[in-house]
Amino acid sequence: MNTRAKHIMAIASKEAKHIKRDIFTLSVALVLPMVFVVFFGFVINLDYHHIPLTVRDNDQSHTSRELLTQASAAGYFDIISAHTPLEAEEQLQQNRMRGLLIIPHGFHTAFTNGEVAHAQLLIDGTDNTMAALATTYMQGIVQATQQALLSSHEPPTAAIRTRYLFNPELNSRWFIVPALSTVIIGFLAIILTALTVAREWENGSMELLLSTPLRPLEIVVGKLLPYFALTFFDVLLVFALALLVFRIPFHGSFVLYLTACLFYIMGALALGLLISVITRQQQSAIQFGFAIGLLPSFMFSGFIFPIENMPAFFQYVTMLFPQRWFLQISRALFLSGSGLIDLIGPFIALFLFMTGMITLAIRNFKTDVEP
Amino acid sequence: MNDTIIQVKNLVIAFGNFKAVNDISFEVRRGEIFGFLGANGAGKTTTIRTLCGILNPTSGQVFVNGTDVAASTAVLKPHIGYMSQKFTLYPDLTVRENMDIAGSLYELTHTQILNRTEELFQFIGLTDIPKGPVRQLSGGTKQMIALAASILHDPDLIFLDEPTAGTSPQTRQAFWELIRRLSSQGKTIFVTTHYMDEAEYCHRIVLMERGRILATDTPANLKAIYFPQKPIELTLTGGNQQAVAQEMRRLSLGEVSVFGSKLRVNVTDHTAFENYCQKHKADFTTRPVDPTLDDVFLKAISGAK
Repeated sequence: MNTRAKHIMAIASKEAKHIKRDIFTLSVALVLPMVFVVFFGFVINLDYHHIPLTVRDNDQSHTSRELLTQASAAGYFDIISAHTPLEAEEQLQQNRMRGLLIIPHGFHTAFTNGEVAHAQLLIDGTDNTMAALATTYMQGIVQATQQALLSSHEPPTAAIRTRYLFNPELNSRWFIVPALSTVIIGFLAIILTALTVAREWENGSMELLLSTPLRPLEIVVGKLLPYFALTFFDVLLVFALALLVFRIPFHGSFVLYLTACLFYIMGALALGLLISVITRQQQSAIQFGFAIGLLPSFMFSGFIFPIENMPAFFQYVTMLFPQRWFLQISRALFLSGSGLIDLIGPFIALFLFMTGMITLAIRNFKTDVEP
Repeated sequence: MNDTIIQVKNLVIAFGNFKAVNDISFEVRRGEIFGFLGANGAGKTTTIRTLCGILNPTSGQVFVNGTDVAASTAVLKPHIGYMSQKFTLYPDLTVRENMDIAGSLYELTHTQILNRTEELFQFIGLTDIPKGPVRQLSGGTKQMIALAASILHDPDLIFLDEPTAGTSPQTRQAFWELIRRLSSQGKTIFVTTHYMDEAEYCHRIVLMERGRILATDTPANLKAIYFPQKPIELTLTGGNQQAVAQEMRRLSLGEVSVFGSKLRVNVTDHTAFENYCQKHKADFTTRPVDPTLDDVFLKAISGAK
C-alpha cells in the first residue's frame, strides 16, 4: 500500500470508529430510510379508492340500479343513498361525501328509447387529483353499464380501451417506491457528511490532523468511504423492501442500478463534505444540508411533480440536480427495464456530478487554521 | 548551523488589521527546552501554529530543520509532534483507538504502534491502559496520554501548546519531569505556558506580550538583567502591613507588592530605603530574596510600556 492509500485508510477507519460510537448518526442512517418507506409506501397513497359518493336516485329503475351496482362493484366509490334532497345537502355540509350523483326521473325511459339519458355528477373540486380520477372512473362505469344492459340486444358501440404500459394498474406505489432511494440518499448522504468536517473544525481536531502529513484529498476520500458503506446499505435495504414487500417488479440490470447508486451516493456525500468544508460550522452546515438536500429531492427530481409539466426554465433547472437523473434511471430500471444506451445521458450527468463534487470538496479544503 | 533547529526572522501574522504576531525573531537550538511565555492573547498559539505549518505567515521567514516552512510543509510535518491546546484526544474513542489513529496518520504499522504505545505508557508512568472512552479520563491523565499520542511517531521536534493548563500541581510537576526526560533524549521541546514557575524548567525562554517579544534568554540571565539588585522581603513584626506598604509607596522607595503576610520591595531609591528601615526597625525584618520569573515578567512589561 502506498502512502496515500495508507492515509486514506487511516482516516476511513477513524471515521468508522466515530460512526460506531455515534448513536445519532447510526439511528439517522438506519431509521430515516424506514420512516420514508413507511410514510411514502404505506401512508401516502395517491390512488383513490372508496370515494364516498352520495346518490340521489329519483328514477328508482332497473337502469339506475344497474348503474349504481356497477359503480360500487368497481371499488372506486362507496355509495351512500340520500332519500331526500335535504339528506344529500346535509351530507355535503358535514363533509361526509366527496361527490353527489343525481339521477333524474325519466332516466330509464330515455335510455330504453335510445335517447341520451342525463344524470348529474357533482364532484368536490378542492382536491383536483381526486376530482379528475372520479370523473374518469365514472365514465368507465357508464360505459360498463351500457354494455351490460345492451349486450343481449346489439353489439357494443366502439369504445377506446386504454392499456397502461409498465404499470398496468397505474399503482402509485410502483411509481413512488423506486424513487424513494433518490430522496433518501439526496437527503441522508448530505446530512451525514455535512457535519463531519465542520465537527472537526469546531472541536479543534482538524488542527491536529493538519499538523500531520495528511493531504486534503486523503481526508476527503477517507471520510467519504465509511459513509458510502452506510448509505449503500440503506439503498440495498430500500431495494429489498421494494421487491419483497411492495412486490414491485425490477426489469433492468442490477449492475447498472448499483453503478448509478455509486455515482449518486458519492456525489451526494461529496456535496455534504463540500458544505462542511466551506461552512466549518455544524449549525450552518446542517441548515445548508437541509436546504440543499431536501428541497431539490422533492421539488426538482420529478418525485412528486412531473418534470415535463414544469415551465421550460425550471425544466433546465432540474438538470443541475443529480436527483433528477438518478430518479430517471431508477424508475426506468425498475419499471421499463431500459438499458445503458437509453440511459447514457443520465449516467454521464451523475458521473460528472460525482467527480465535480469530489474535486470541489478537495479544492476548497483549507490546510491552514486561519479564522 | 546544525545547532539551530528553528529560525524565525521578522515574523508577522496578521488577521485583517490585527497583528497577532508583530515582527518577532528568535532561534531555537537542538535539544533545548524552549519556553514561550505570555498572557492569553500574547500570540503564543499563533506562533506555534505557524511553526507547525498550519498557519501561513503574513510576512517574515520561518525555517525549521533548515527548510522554509512556507515553501514546504510536507517535508516538515513527519518530523514534528504537536499537542494543541484546544484538542488532544477524540473523547468518544478509547485510548487504544486514539493511539491507533495517531500512529496510522504517520504510517506506523500495527506492531510499531503496539510497541511504541507500550514504551510510552511506561514512560508516562501509566501501568495499564484505560479501557473506556477518553471522555471518562481525568484531565491530568488525558494530558499525559495526549503527550504520548503526539510523540508516538518519535519526532525530533515537539510542540506543546499550554500542555499543563487546567491540571493539578502534581500533574504539572509530573508533566515537566517528562519534558525534561525527553530533552535529555535529545528532543527539542517548544512549549508555551502562562505559568511563570514552569518556565524555570526551560533552558531558554521568550517573554511575549501583545505579539511582541520583550526578552529572550535563560531564566537566570533574565533575572540578573532585570534585577541587578535582589528584591527585599519584609517580614512584619509589629505595625500595620497596609500602612507600611502605603508609606513606602508614598516615599517612592520602590515597587511594593503584598505576598501573604509579607511585603516584597523592588528597591529603586536605595539610600532612602536604608534610612526608612533604620527608622522602623521595630516593625519588620528584611532579607534579600531571589526574584521569580513573575517578577521578571512584570518588570519587563512595565519596561515595555
